[in-house]
Formats: sequence, structure tokens, C-alpha cells
Amino acid sequence: MSEAAAAAAALHGVSQRFGRKVVLRELELELHPGSIVGLVGANGSGKTTLFAVLAGLLQPDTGERRLFGRAADEVDAEARARLAYVAHATQLYGALSARENLRLFADLRAAAGLSTRPADEVLLELGLSAEALGRPVATFSRGMAQRVALARALAAWPELLLLDEPFTALDAAGRGMLSRVLLGERSRGAAVLLSSHDFDALVQICDRIVLLEGGALVRSVERHERHDRHDRHDRHDQNHRHDHRDQRDQQDHQGDRENFRRRAAALWHDLPADPGDTVVDGPR
Amino acid sequence: MRLLRQALLLLRSELRQELRDFELLLTAGFFTVVLLAMFYLSFASLQAKAHLSALPGLMWLTVAFVGVLTLTRVFDREREADTLRALLAAPIERLAIYLAKAAMALLVLMICCAVLVPGLWLMFPAGQAFADQPGQTALLALLGCAGYVAIGTLFAAGLATGAGKNTLLFIILYPLTTPVLMYALVTTRALLDRDPALPDHLTQMFLLDLILFAAACLLFETVLVGAPARAPGRRPRHPRRPDASVRQDMSREPSR
Repeated sequence: MSEAAAAAAALHGVSQRFGRKVVLRELELELHPGSIVGLVGANGSGKTTLFAVLAGLLQPDTGERRLFGRAADEVDAEARARLAYVAHATQLYGALSARENLRLFADLRAAAGLSTRPADEVLLELGLSAEALGRPVATFSRGMAQRVALARALAAWPELLLLDEPFTALDAAGRGMLSRVLLGERSRGAAVLLSSHDFDALVQICDRIVLLEGGALVRSVERHERHDRHDRHDRHDQNHRHDHRDQRDQQDHQGDRENFRRRAAALWHDLPADPGDTVVDGPR
Repeated sequence: MRLLRQALLLLRSELRQELRDFELLLTAGFFTVVLLAMFYLSFASLQAKAHLSALPGLMWLTVAFVGVLTLTRVFDREREADTLRALLAAPIERLAIYLAKAAMALLVLMICCAVLVPGLWLMFPAGQAFADQPGQTALLALLGCAGYVAIGTLFAAGLATGAGKNTLLFIILYPLTTPVLMYALVTTRALLDRDPALPDHLTQMFLLDLILFAAACLLFETVLVGAPARAPGRRPRHPRRPDASVRQDMSREPSR
């Protein structure tokens, strides 16, 4: 299987413009199952547009979009069944309760023959109290509404999870909870793309962080862990070298994390200071 | 079947929200009553023959005004919380969104017509024909409103997803619905005149509605998310290595 075919989502040479504004430029990106990619960039760098293109809410002007190994000129219902998108806005019906919001989408999926996790189960897992489930979402704080939006996405067992600033408005406990949930999704085999301005959260969970600038992915840092050495180590049972090797591997992993953090910090440092200054005028 | 089930689920959700605040019905209903009162104060003193000429215009003018108000509010709910995009990203037939919104707008308009038509009959003697032919009057109202809603829902949805302002809906909608309103106007006149050709007029309205619904269904997804570009330039100009444009100088660990 080729690298492109194995990707849950891939964009090749994708450009998007709104009028004269070029928002995405010749963009190249691949998202692989079982990985979390962090997307950073200044306001107006094109992050939300990138999510919209991947979710099928925008048709790219040029370039190729591939989803689950297939060219996706249009993101059909079959592809949408395998992805979930949480936008910066919570996209919830304020007059409906958290439970009703989730059930509406679960019923719509069921009408298409798709299964969904029970609403209460996933809402409680994301930290909403049982009392809150029946209340209209309009009465929720932003953080609670964000949990409902995340729950709606996670309830569908997505293979591709697109999260536009998912840590927004979450308290420390909520951020920790979301990080754990996303790591669980990665373990399940989901490909995750998330944007955030929370450096610590990104460094903690991402396998790769990419910098979007002027609508193009200009830099990338990747976590490089020594899985091969670890795997080799697992094949050895208890012996006198085990403890020594384990200690050395722990030191290596610690070093890897520190190295990833340091390189990510360098990338973070390169973020343009002025919001909105990265969208450039393109040729007509 | 899937399309119909999903449309019904969305319509049920619309109704559930409406029954919690009655926002649409109260706004549209109150506006209908206000228009009726204004028409009465303006035209009640005219001769009965003038009423016969004025009634079709009064009826469809009200539908046009209340219709645009309803369509705006139907999609404002989606616009305020950006929920339309959540629906568009969900694995549903996107046409189901159109059908549910159109059905909701049609329902509100028909309820307003249930106030409007008896109101016109009570206020103007020429409206007696509405009471004498209730079935045909109901069919006329249904066909006229359906044609209006068929076009209106399409453009209201397009404006709800874009950066368009609601004022644009007024500008776009009225010229586009003119054929429907003209047809409805002529048919209403035929009904009031007890014209034997009324069934033909109603049949023509039905066919016009079918054409409008078919066109709206074909265009709906394109209006909302755009059409995929099929020009040769859509493909990359040359094969690329994945992430070739990304500088990878810091992407790997230094060798130890």
C-alpha cells in the first residue's frame, strides 16, 4: 500500500481563495491513522479553511483532496460517515438539550445505517454531569458546550477527527480529560488533526506539529520515538540486562520528549506576531 | 427512503425548537395580522368591484413579505450557532436539509394563510369566493406558497452559509419569485371570478412548482458547498512528494 493510500486524509497542491485573497497555497498534508497532528498558525493563516476543505465544507479551487485512500472531489456521505469535525463554534442547537443535540445526529446516522455511541455515555465520559444532560445548551457555559460538541464528534467513532481549537474554553481538568481522550482515539487508530494555541497541550499529545503560514505549511516538527528499540526490548524476558536497558530507554524517551518540545518551541517562536498578517494577496 | 427519514428527523427537530419558543409562528403570525389591519384601514372604503381586483394582490403581497421573514428566521437559527455546517459535515443526504427547511417554512406560511385568507374574507365582501370554494382556496394557497418556498429556501440556505447579509435575500428573492407570485395572482383572480378554467390554472401552478423544486434540489448542494472544480488545473501540476513543501530541517532527531 502506498503512503498516500494509507493516509486517512491527504491534500496535494490544494489552493483556496476567497475573491482575491489566497487563503491556502499549494498545500501538502497527509494525516495517517493512529497519529495526532497539531496545526499552529497565526489568526488568519488559513487553519479554519484547511479544516473546512478536509471536512468537505469547501471545494478546493485547485489540487487534490484524498480521503481514506480515495480521491474526494466531493466529500460524499460515505466519507463524512468516517470523519468528524469540531469547529471553533460549538455548532449546537441552543434550544435543545445536550442529550437531544447528540440524539439528533445519532438518529440521522442511524437513518443512514450507521451506529453511534449512546449519548449519555459519551457525554458523561467527557465530564458533563447527569443533571446537565437534559438542560438546554443555551444555558451552558462555553466550556460545557465545547464538551458537548466534542462528545458529538467522538460518539461517531470517527476514523478522521478534525478539531479546530478543541481546548478553547476548557478548564485545566477539561484539557487533561481531552488530551487523554485524544490519546485514546489515537490508540484506537484514528487520525487526528487539531489546531490550538495551547503549546503545552500540543507538545504533550501530538506526534507532529506543522506551522501554517500564509496558507502554506512551511515547517514541521515530528516526534521521533525509538519504537524499534522498545520493540526489541519487549522480546527479552527478565534478565540481568533488562533493568539497565529499561533505564537507558527511559532516559532516551525523556530525551526525545525534551528534544521534541525544544524543536516545537522553536517553531512556536516563529509564529507571526500580528494576527491576520499571513493571508496574502494572490495573482488574479 | 433514507432521504425522507433524515428530512423528517430534521423537521421534527425544527418543530421541537419552534414549540419551545414559538419564535417563527409568533413573528410571522403577528406580521400577518398587522398587514391585514393595514389593508383593511386602507382599502375597506373602496367599492366591492375594486376589492375583487385588489384581493389577489393583497393576498400574495402578504405571502411575499411573511415568506421572506420566515425564511430569514428559519436559517437565522442555523446561522447564529453555525449549526448548518455541522449538518453539512454529517453523513446525511444534504438534500434532507433542504427538504426539512422548506417543509418548515411551508408549514409556517400555511398557518399564516389560515389567518390571512379568512381575514380577507371577513374584511372584504369579494372574499366570499374563498369561503365558497375552501378546497380550491387551500390548494391555491398551498401551491403558491410551495413555489415561493422552493426558491426561497435555496437562496436563504446559500446566504446562511456564506457571509451574505439577510438584506441580500430580499434583493435576490423577490425578482426570482415573481413568476410564482404572478401565476398565483392570476389563479387567485380566476378563483374569485369563479372562472371555469381554475383547475387548469392550478395544474399549471403545480407543474411550475415541480420544476422549481427539481431545480432547487439539483442546485442545493452546489449552492451550499460549491461545485468541485474539474478543470485540468485541479490536479497537481507535477507529482509531489508528500509534504515536500514543508521544511523538514528540524523534523528529525539529531543522531546520537
